[in-house]
Amino acid sequence: MAGPAGEVLAATVSRRLKIVIALALLTASTPILLTYGLLIISSFSENMVTDPLLRDLSPTLSNWITFLQGRLTYAPEGLERNVVEMVVVTLVVALGVAFTATLVSLLAAYSISRMNFRGRRVFTASLILLHAFPGVALIIGVYMVFLSVGKALGLLGNEFYALTYVILARAALEVPMATWLFKGFFDKIPWEIEWSALVDGASRVTVWRKILVPMVKPGIAAVLIFTFLAGWEEFIYFYVFLAPLGIDSLPTFIEEIVGAAEYYQLTIVAAAGTFYLLPTIIFFVFTQKLLLEAYSGGLKG
Amino acid sequence: MSKTRILTLAFFLGPATALVVFFFVFPLILTIYISFTDMRNWNVERYANDIVGLKNYEALVHLSRYDPKFESAVITTIVFVTVTLFINVVGGLTLAILTYFLEERVSLSFRLLWLLPRMTPVAVYSLLWYYFFHSSNIGTLNRIFMSLGIIEEPIAWGSYNLPLGTWAILIFVNGLVGVSFGMIIFYSAIRSIPWEYIAAARVDGAGNLTLIRSIILPQLRWHIMFVTVWQMLSLLTTYAHIFLLYEWGTIDRIWGQTWSLLVFTTAFGDIKRQGLAAAAATVLVVIGIVLGLIALRLLGFQRMMTIPRGEI
Repeated sequence: MAGPAGEVLAATVSRRLKIVIALALLTASTPILLTYGLLIISSFSENMVTDPLLRDLSPTLSNWITFLQGRLTYAPEGLERNVVEMVVVTLVVALGVAFTATLVSLLAAYSISRMNFRGRRVFTASLILLHAFPGVALIIGVYMVFLSVGKALGLLGNEFYALTYVILARAALEVPMATWLFKGFFDKIPWEIEWSALVDGASRVTVWRKILVPMVKPGIAAVLIFTFLAGWEEFIYFYVFLAPLGIDSLPTFIEEIVGAAEYYQLTIVAAAGTFYLLPTIIFFVFTQKLLLEAYSGGLKG
Repeated sequence: MSKTRILTLAFFLGPATALVVFFFVFPLILTIYISFTDMRNWNVERYANDIVGLKNYEALVHLSRYDPKFESAVITTIVFVTVTLFINVVGGLTLAILTYFLEERVSLSFRLLWLLPRMTPVAVYSLLWYYFFHSSNIGTLNRIFMSLGIIEEPIAWGSYNLPLGTWAILIFVNGLVGVSFGMIIFYSAIRSIPWEYIAAARVDGAGNLTLIRSIILPQLRWHIMFVTVWQMLSLLTTYAHIFLLYEWGTIDRIWGQTWSLLVFTTAFGDIKRQGLAAAAATVLVVIGIVLGLIALRLLGFQRMMTIPRGEI
């Protein structure tokens, strides 16, 4: 992706024009910078900071302390929630989605990249269709399956069943895209590398595990991060499957307290939101190029 | 096929197939089936066999004409998808071309910044705009306008000049997420234009605008079509951000509903008429399949699917 053309073009553009473009982009980016900035700053202030010049900032750490103690108001007898549970639940779902989707796609992508079987084209074509598929059209059916299977197994209302179901159902949504990404990575590896191993009688599974998987490590890292963030940013599945069972998570917690905002200190909600945003920002800072490449690679094929 | 070969294929494809069948194919068939039943309140035992034929579809047509909520949902969806789609494609194209003219370091920072809304947790992203468009003076937009002296009293933007206020919020919030998709696709397409084309044009004395008009844009024809189709599909079916803004009262309860949000609230909200919701969802499925197939063609699927060299 990082070919020389862009760099060379930039060298032929006048300095003046580049400054104008950068300023224009900066202006267009103001809403993003402003909203994210004010949320983070408000979490460290006694009142919501809404002034872009920060004239209403009065610094404090009490929002963070109160939130991390699981309280929603400064008053000691106020409503308390289990913050550790919320974080663990969100994290378990995100990690579950990441590992399930990555492993399943790593397997499927190998066979569509390297093996010729009947139905291969249809399978690969349906991956794109599935990726484009309207999630809202599925959610009714997915919930119906959840009810029916839960009923048949006597597991309705079981928290462990609900969590497992959410992880698998949410991971399934990421499988088409992740498989497509891995196919791209496998396609780039020269066939000769595994050929000799196959001729020597090694099985496909051995070749996959010992030769190909180690070669796509950067791809695995990219897909893991990508699917982790997909699970982490999810809202609807937490809301539909887990919240009714009383399983708290960061997204439904925010949904609930903003809905009843007049009773709570909004700055504590800002602390909760900033906390929830942390992993996203960390991955952004440390894996920028990987993220951008995963995005463009996945759709170029 | 030999037995080992079947076992090998099962090992590689089994898990993916199982997930796809269980969480895509089954639910899809179920949704279409439910749309022909009178399912409500998730009462599977009572309504699962209560086939009512096309009643839900007829109800849908009727409601779209006479029920204010459904009627406005149709209008809102059309306006929302058209305007946001235009902003996403043109905005994505502008961002991609502008960042292409900058040094890699600066360009990367801007592209990352614009990717941030897409990667932000849905609840946090909605929270940002809840604050921004808040109807009291804690709303940033109100605060800015008041200190500039444009308005004197805080404005409830979601119900301002209905339906325009709500539409503006919907379009703005979703446009900011959507624009990064086009930006990424277009940017990587521009980067893959052979450098010789650009160098030759430069030697011939082509200015920046000529370069964009006669070298860059013609190369992006297919990508523009693909992004348009793909984004249309995702705008038609997006609802998570909209649901939260709707719940929190940032957007209007009537004019803030798009078709896909209507599917969700009809199935999971207070009404709980899953039969009707499934019929509305099936309409989306049909549109989705048509748009998906077009996108597939545009991607040049045939070319990408050459037979792998992996067979002995």
